[in-house]
Amino acid sequence: MEVAVKIRKLVKRFGNTVAVDSLDLDINEGEIFGLLGPNGSGKTTTLLIISTVYKPTSGEVYVYGHDVIREGDVVRKYVGIAFQEPKALWVDKPYELLLWHARVVGYSTSEAREVVKNVMEVLGLWEHRNKYFYQLSGGTRKKVEIAKVLIQKPKIAIFDEPTAQVDVISKHALWDAIRELRTQGSTVIIATNDMFEAERMCERIAIIYKGKLKALGTVEELKDSIPEGDIVELMLDGDENTYLRAEDLLKQYGKTVRSNDSLKIFLNKGEERAIEILDLLKSRGFKIRKIMVKEPSLDDVFFYMTGAKLKEG
Amino acid sequence: MGYLSAAWTVASRDISRFWKYRFWLAGQLAMNLADVFIFALVFNNIVNKAYIPDYLKFMTPGVAAIATFAAAFSIGREVGVEIRREVTQYLLSLPMSRSAFVFGRILGGALRGMIYQVSFLVLAALIVNVPTTTKALYIALTTVMLTFSMSSLAIAISTSTKDFNLQATLRALTYYILFFLSNVFYPKEVLAMRFPPQILQIVINTPVSLASDIYRWGFGYYENVDAVSKILLLLIWSLTLTTLASLAYLRNLTKQ
Ligand SMILES: Nc1ncnc2c1ncn2[C@@H]1O[C@H](COP(=O)(O)OP(=O)(O)OP(=O)(O)O)[C@@H](O)[C@H]1O
Ligand SMILES: [Mg+2]
Repeated sequence: MEVAVKIRKLVKRFGNTVAVDSLDLDINEGEIFGLLGPNGSGKTTTLLIISTVYKPTSGEVYVYGHDVIREGDVVRKYVGIAFQEPKALWVDKPYELLLWHARVVGYSTSEAREVVKNVMEVLGLWEHRNKYFYQLSGGTRKKVEIAKVLIQKPKIAIFDEPTAQVDVISKHALWDAIRELRTQGSTVIIATNDMFEAERMCERIAIIYKGKLKALGTVEELKDSIPEGDIVELMLDGDENTYLRAEDLLKQYGKTVRSNDSLKIFLNKGEERAIEILDLLKSRGFKIRKIMVKEPSLDDVFFYMTGAKLKEG
Repeated sequence: MGYLSAAWTVASRDISRFWKYRFWLAGQLAMNLADVFIFALVFNNIVNKAYIPDYLKFMTPGVAAIATFAAAFSIGREVGVEIRREVTQYLLSLPMSRSAFVFGRILGGALRGMIYQVSFLVLAALIVNVPTTTKALYIALTTVMLTFSMSSLAIAISTSTKDFNLQATLRALTYYILFFLSNVFYPKEVLAMRFPPQILQIVINTPVSLASDIYRWGFGYYENVDAVSKILLLLIWSLTLTTLASLAYLRNLTKQ
């Protein structure tokens, strides 16, 4: 299996901010790879370095063996990216924008017309083709951005949060289009916050947090990587304080993750422990609204790996 | 994509965008033309006939230079907007070499100046004189050099800072310095009464002044102009500005 993108000890700093912190990653040819991480974890920065838009502060990135700094011209021939924020000026119109893009990525004028029309139809963009960019809805702008990569069919196709702002029906159309792109030979990299998208689309997932790699593997591998195989989830009557007190009490059972309206405890033998927990909480006067024992979802893996609290501090 | 076709594709984007601003341009054009006639009417009787026998004929080639300069300069604004809206990131990700991209950009700005200029050249030919073939060649060369210098200057200024307001200020400042410190409105003899000699030397040797003198000579308003040395000086300006601006553009785009 050939490595399409090889990232070694990648560091990217913006002033005092460390956006990417000693990241190591191999992305294999032909896979759909997911980059998962909370806001500000360095997903976009990493993708922009692969696309030669940003330069690494230190470390190395190779695209099919070509260094992103020294051989940027070659790397750009392999990589196409759909940005998180659609890149256009307000006076641009989708059709002319995409037509120009098609010509830049190497189509003749007549081929360009054909491929642009096809892709626009698939994404439901054709009716919007002659509107000004400022007249388009957020989701439509996003689809125009994605259309660029679908037209380009690059060896390495990068999508930065492709379905953020996109409605459910369009999401499925986009996912199908991205899968089709892979079938036609592209390696796909998707950055996302959306666990459902990651689980549905990605064969392998890297979870990054604060610029660091926290976990890597298939969805199944990630779920299995949590040593405590069960989760007890509790909902209590009361406010934040109630949850704080409950968390203190239950820490002895395993790693806890608290949000505003639930408390999760990662542990083994969930069913048995749940009864103990129930008794303990009752004896301390807690009012329990709901208790569940479940297997970890990708959400849970994410919380577990990043140790993120929904409310910081 | 080869170097030249990539550069041309980049330039064609700027040209078609120019077309979108055609109403703004028509307004600009009307203003430039109004300048010619108002100045001509007013000044023809005020200005000493010993210095300027016919103000309209003096002014028209100068306005051609100013108009060209303004149109080529206009690319700076868009480059600035692109940086602010991070469209630049998209441009940097496209499959072409950085130098093809930068060259295409400057070419686009220059071509905009050239397209815009055509009507003024026709006007000058009608009002002053139809140039001979040799002189037409000088005029064409002057236009190319002036537009390349101004396009690259505007681009370099727009990328010098991320602060959009500062960019606009710097562009406006450069614009007005080049506009007012030129011989477009007054001949050297009149300027000599206003400025100390050292400043005068600078004023009459800026790209815009050089270009208007060559145009005046080209259209037969002036007889005795050392067109060759003026065009050489303009060439030096043009090469220096284009080279420095390309390097600055490239460096500023790829800083991060
Ligand atoms: N151009 C920049 N200048 C300064 N800081 C930046 C720049 N780009 C990113 N950062 C910082 O780097 C960190 C990582 O940002 P990045 O955009 O890569 O995160 P992300 O994982 O894509 O987040 P999101 O899910 O919100 O898109 C953040 O702290 C961000 O503020
Ligand atoms: Mg991002």
